[in-house]
Amino acid sequence: MIPVWQISRQGLFWLLLAFVAVIMMHADHLPRWVLAASVVAVVWRIQCYRGAWSVPGRWLKMTLLAVCVGGLLLEYGQPIGLEPMLALLVTAYMLKLLEMSHRRDAYLVVLLAFFVAALTALFDQSMVSAGYLLGCLLLVLAALVGLHHGDQPGGTLRPLKVAISLLCQALPLMVVLFLLMPRIGALWSVPIPTHKAKTGVTDSMSPGDFSQLGRSAELAFRVSFDGPIPPQRVLYWRGLVLSDFGGRTWKRTRRTSMDDGALLQWYGQSDKSWDQLIDRRGQPLNYSVVIEPTQQLWLYALDTPLPRSRGVALTRDYRLLANQPLSSKRQYQVQSWLDHSIEVGGLSRDRRAIELQWPEGYNPRTLDLAREWRDKASSDRAFIQRVLGLFNSEFIYTLQPPLLGQHSVDEFLFESKQGFCEHFAGSFVFLMRAAGIPARVLAGYQGGERHPDGYLLVRQYDAHAWTEVWLENEGWVSIDPTASVAPERIEGDVQSLLGSEEGFLADSPASLVRFRHIGWINRLRLEMEALNYHWALWVLGYDQMQSSVLTRLLGKISVWRIAIALLGTGGAVLLLIALWQWIPSRRSTTNPIDRQFILLCEHLEKQGIERKPGEGVRAFTQRAASLRPEMAELLRSFCEQFESMRYGGETPQDILLEEKLRALRRAK
Amino acid sequence: MQKVVDRLVADIGTVLIGKEEQIRLALACLFARGHLLIEDLPGMGKTTLAQALARVLGLSYNRIQFTSDLLPADILGVSVYDRERSLFEFHPGPVFNQLLLADEINRTTPKTQSALLEAMAEGQVTVEGETRPLPTPFFVIATQNPVSQSGTYPLPESQLDRFLMRIELGYPDPASERLLLSGTDPRLRLVDMKPLLNPDQLLKIQQQVNLVKASESLVDYLQRLAQYTRDEAVFQSGLSPRGTLATLQCARAWALIQARQYVIPEDVQAVFPTVAGHRLRGAGEFSGHDSGLLVQRVLNAVDIL
Repeated sequence: MIPVWQISRQGLFWLLLAFVAVIMMHADHLPRWVLAASVVAVVWRIQCYRGAWSVPGRWLKMTLLAVCVGGLLLEYGQPIGLEPMLALLVTAYMLKLLEMSHRRDAYLVVLLAFFVAALTALFDQSMVSAGYLLGCLLLVLAALVGLHHGDQPGGTLRPLKVAISLLCQALPLMVVLFLLMPRIGALWSVPIPTHKAKTGVTDSMSPGDFSQLGRSAELAFRVSFDGPIPPQRVLYWRGLVLSDFGGRTWKRTRRTSMDDGALLQWYGQSDKSWDQLIDRRGQPLNYSVVIEPTQQLWLYALDTPLPRSRGVALTRDYRLLANQPLSSKRQYQVQSWLDHSIEVGGLSRDRRAIELQWPEGYNPRTLDLAREWRDKASSDRAFIQRVLGLFNSEFIYTLQPPLLGQHSVDEFLFESKQGFCEHFAGSFVFLMRAAGIPARVLAGYQGGERHPDGYLLVRQYDAHAWTEVWLENEGWVSIDPTASVAPERIEGDVQSLLGSEEGFLADSPASLVRFRHIGWINRLRLEMEALNYHWALWVLGYDQMQSSVLTRLLGKISVWRIAIALLGTGGAVLLLIALWQWIPSRRSTTNPIDRQFILLCEHLEKQGIERKPGEGVRAFTQRAASLRPEMAELLRSFCEQFESMRYGGETPQDILLEEKLRALRRAK
Repeated sequence: MQKVVDRLVADIGTVLIGKEEQIRLALACLFARGHLLIEDLPGMGKTTLAQALARVLGLSYNRIQFTSDLLPADILGVSVYDRERSLFEFHPGPVFNQLLLADEINRTTPKTQSALLEAMAEGQVTVEGETRPLPTPFFVIATQNPVSQSGTYPLPESQLDRFLMRIELGYPDPASERLLLSGTDPRLRLVDMKPLLNPDQLLKIQQQVNLVKASESLVDYLQRLAQYTRDEAVFQSGLSPRGTLATLQCARAWALIQARQYVIPEDVQAVFPTVAGHRLRGAGEFSGHDSGLLVQRVLNAVDIL
């Protein structure tokens, strides 16, 4: 027997394994030196485990503590924020692992492991990471079991087996809590690190930005339509309107108010002061979007949208905005009218000023060209056709355009003549504005991949920039200059157009999108994609659905009803588990012959004759016969029948026993 | 069959009064072709039982009284120089008999014990480089005094394992003892006993034992018993596969003695204490316990279903 306070070897083994798994999960968010120190700690502990090294002494521990705290201060400067706190916690976890000598220390380490593992959910909520988290929980549980049980025979795997059965019993309870537990708003907010570069469309556009996005196959959002997916060429996902041109970079206008009404129109709000500017015609498209976290406010929708979800607003420039930054996946419903006209009646003064602005002193050659061509053109339309014709005849669409200098539009139009969508959109709008036509750049995504399950996948490499010009009597008209250079980009998809170009998907080396031409990999990829989509829809998106689900289940949401439902279902789940635990003792007796004997035992037990565990059929029936002589004959014949069928090789026929049992019951 | 057994039991019962159960067990052991170890205090009737068995079974029989100065040659035999024919002639020892009674086997040295035990295991002996087969059937009935008594060399586990069964006789009940005291000395009646079987009949019975059916559910039960002894911390080590095989064989013989052609769990329970008792040792806090009680514990704990 090992002393009570000692850490059992089986427990230690699983504790170390759990440590490694938990730390691995946070590898992305931790400084390198913390990872290195963790490796040292594990190696040290393993050496202790093998009896090769001794546990670090007091002075060494003090030094280690000082070094770690110093390192953290150097690394982060100020200790506020999620990542510094995580690093601090992990360091403490590591040092405690190294230091522990008593069982109570090990229990503390187990608690730390649970906590650190749970922190993963703050960074990543995908299905894969949830599965991995479950695996980590299993290891920590195994450690806990190992610690409690001490070193028992059955090998190192035994604690894991116990842990698996524990976890399996806990899972139904977890599901109940997930479904019913009311989501309480955060009591405090954790500053999520946003400085980490996240690929996606940003609120400014310089030459080269969108070609960067072409390097990533990361998912941007998924859309499922009520009905068929519209053709590829109309799928312009409007996300941002860039009106402010600084000579090189396009930005959003930083106006906080307009002269003709509010900037935002929230879903469910009655004030629709400028809604009449939009003329919506025909049947709307209904669809729902699940967007990946971007840490930004803007959402994507087809022109011209109307939000159908709480917390989403329509902006003055006809795009959608969320009420808080997208720190996790979010789902929203939209209605879009593809057939529409906007602001046909004329632009307000403010608006006109914004959409005609350009900085002085940039791109002189383009300015001259625009004025010259406009003078010669009979109408705005004719001018636009001439510009598009220019793009069509002389320009090349490429993911890797040459770098441009200060007069970026001049250089692009007259020298390099190679560009990605942002070059075409930017210079087109600049030309329009120079000719006195209000115009603006739209940024977002174009197209998407059609999943066989009937929804659309939009990835970062689908990022696109196009334009909108305002024409007399027509209002805002969408024009995509890229369509005249590379129509296959709009009609087909980016993959087939750019797939051969160097640099495409360069940032996603392992992405399965790369191998989509191989049949089975593509199928696998699409299956995984569908799985992830449903995860996002039903698990991560459940927070938004919960209130409606609860209303349907409980009739009305009130604290009492939820509490009763929680207790009721939780109790039912526990009862089921208890039943399951109780059943195995009877499960082995599935043999119908044995069952008849068990029924006999139950019958006799009611009369006060209980069978002892090791008592055989013959011994028991004889004892029962001595207590109940009137049944002796029946019992004897039951016993003989049973023995000859169960042991004597006679064909088993439980009906014979059943008859005898019935006779016995009558004899009472 | 039943008649034969009943007559055997009744006959032996005239010299060993009130020990029917033990007599039946001893017969089961011999029918299952196993060697029998009888352990008890001096004067409990061990030798009487062994002699009575030899007589009623009609086997050629010899007895060795084991003492501390007994040598292997005293058991196996020795070659003596024949001067007339000028060659060595082998004089077989008492082991060349169908039934050998090894009285007080634990009074002799391990060397002599092992000479006998080899013969028991192999059914043959090797003397002076020559292997000689022993007669069939070949039985050893050994008696021994409890190990705690002085002047004993306890048999190690590996050699205890050679005995299929170990039975204890115990004190007679008052009625039997009164009967014993009032009659003539039963030992005198031994000489009058007539053989009831001949070796051929015995061989036939032994073959019948092998034909007794052990159903799947019975084998499951036996396996659960063995597993229990292996899993529980009560025992130093669990029952070996040889131990389970021995149990099954004895249970078959027991079933046959009950005139049944298949084994039921009660058969296993009847023979299990005598078959497993000397093969299992209590561990930890149970180390001093009587192994019979521990084995009973196994039987009580393992369900027959």
